[in-house]
Amino acid sequence: MNTVALLGPCHPDRALAWQNGHPITYRRFLSEVATLAAQLPEKPTVINLADDRYRFLVGLAAALVRGQTTLLPPSRAPRALVQIAREYRNSYCLADGQEAIEGLPTCHIPHCEWGAAPNAPNAEVPQIPVDHTAVVAFTSGSTGSPRPHRKTWGSLVAVARSTGARLGLTASHPMTVVATVPHQHMYGLETTIMLPIQHGMALYAGRPLFPQDVQSALTEVPSPRVLVTTPLHIRACVAACMPLPQVECILSATAPLPVSLAKRAETLFQSDVYEVYGFTEAGSVATRRTVAGETWHVLDGITLHQESGRCSLRAPYLPESISFPDLVSLRGPHRFVLHGRGADVVNIGGHRVSFSDLNQKLNEIDGVQDGVFFLPDETGSSVTRLIAFVVAPGNSAEHILSALRTVIDPVFLPRPLHVVPTLPRNETGKLTRDALLGLLRELHGQDRHGT
Amino acid sequence: MSDKSPLEADVAKLIVQTLNLKIDPMQIQPEQPLFREGLGLDSIDALELSLAISQSYGYQIRSDDPEAVATFASLRSLCKLIEKNRTK
Repeated sequence: MNTVALLGPCHPDRALAWQNGHPITYRRFLSEVATLAAQLPEKPTVINLADDRYRFLVGLAAALVRGQTTLLPPSRAPRALVQIAREYRNSYCLADGQEAIEGLPTCHIPHCEWGAAPNAPNAEVPQIPVDHTAVVAFTSGSTGSPRPHRKTWGSLVAVARSTGARLGLTASHPMTVVATVPHQHMYGLETTIMLPIQHGMALYAGRPLFPQDVQSALTEVPSPRVLVTTPLHIRACVAACMPLPQVECILSATAPLPVSLAKRAETLFQSDVYEVYGFTEAGSVATRRTVAGETWHVLDGITLHQESGRCSLRAPYLPESISFPDLVSLRGPHRFVLHGRGADVVNIGGHRVSFSDLNQKLNEIDGVQDGVFFLPDETGSSVTRLIAFVVAPGNSAEHILSALRTVIDPVFLPRPLHVVPTLPRNETGKLTRDALLGLLRELHGQDRHGT
Repeated sequence: MSDKSPLEADVAKLIVQTLNLKIDPMQIQPEQPLFREGLGLDSIDALELSLAISQSYGYQIRSDDPEAVATFASLRSLCKLIEKNRTK
């Protein structure tokens, strides 16, 4: 059986994680993984809800050791979790706090001990079969139910290695990853979990949000450091003009990073700012240093193709060729330029979903006769939110919003949700963007006249 | 009717402007939750709001401050912290 080790080259007494200012060594990690693995229930799939990045990793690794698959739900919305739980009935939930999923048994990831664990046995690094389905990530399908994407252990390792090679990471010069992004989606999993464990690096267990948090997290861990984040957080840190400790490099993903912001960040933080482009179906695909130009360079092993008018990519670890969800034009087999989102895709603060999925969920709500989500023209720097128009006689906007809140990720909640008598459908039943913009102007006009 | 302090009224305005909420600042009740069931704010809003607050009041919000756990619980709790930590 073809296997790859859970960990890349690493020193057992070096820190794998920093939790509340304390190091946790690779040796202690292996011992905690072995202990937890022995306690896990005999089930094929697990939903790991741990908020602490290190404890999430312990849970993920223990599940791998037991040959189990970790499911990465598309959102933490209660209904989304229950939906996954229903499709994967024989699952359990791993948690490091009070989280639970209705209908699933919960297994608790214990608090870890800090320090070097000199007495921990010299645990062997587990070998994981390359074709084992390590995780299943989900995208919102157009049919309303989440579409699963299986990721083999071999594919996760391949992406981690090619990303590490691109960034020049070596085990002899291990860095510490501090990240503002969650670890339960592909970008977070790849850059803040897989990248560190495959390169003998360390990770910061918390997840800083505000600029002050980012500053103190970076101060808490030793140099050299990598900051994994998003344009939103970079913008906040730049606006706060807060001096950050020396950072070797900053990785940004989930939304386009404006060149002007990248320039200011590079100057302020004395660090190179790279963007990572990827999507759930393929994982991380390409990188670019934002200030160096618009061209994206694919990771080693990936090749680009133009097939019947669509751009797609292939990689040895992907079972088939995958189309880009965004509009791109190729510059040869290894480079491309990104032009924008596909027509049905919406991205709010790094969360991606299809309009058809949002509309279906809206129209499934009791009392809703017709409804549509709509993204108004984006305005400058702040995040533009969705608007919804709903025909629902006898129902208030609050009632529909509270129903929506249980089925979609909060970032997609419409602001505002307008209850209207009818939608401006044309003779073929279609809703054009112009008609929706017109309806919006009409409503704003009414607001101004105080009705 | 509003029983807001002058600071609460100002911060309510700041919230509505910063987050482009289509509501009247007067409608924000001082004890109403700002997140989820209340105004329905999320972590993107928290980040935007923290910036606006640091620019207007010189207070840098941080989430590991034990007091800050309740920072965004309501307009009132947010204003108490701003009052205590403001530098302008």
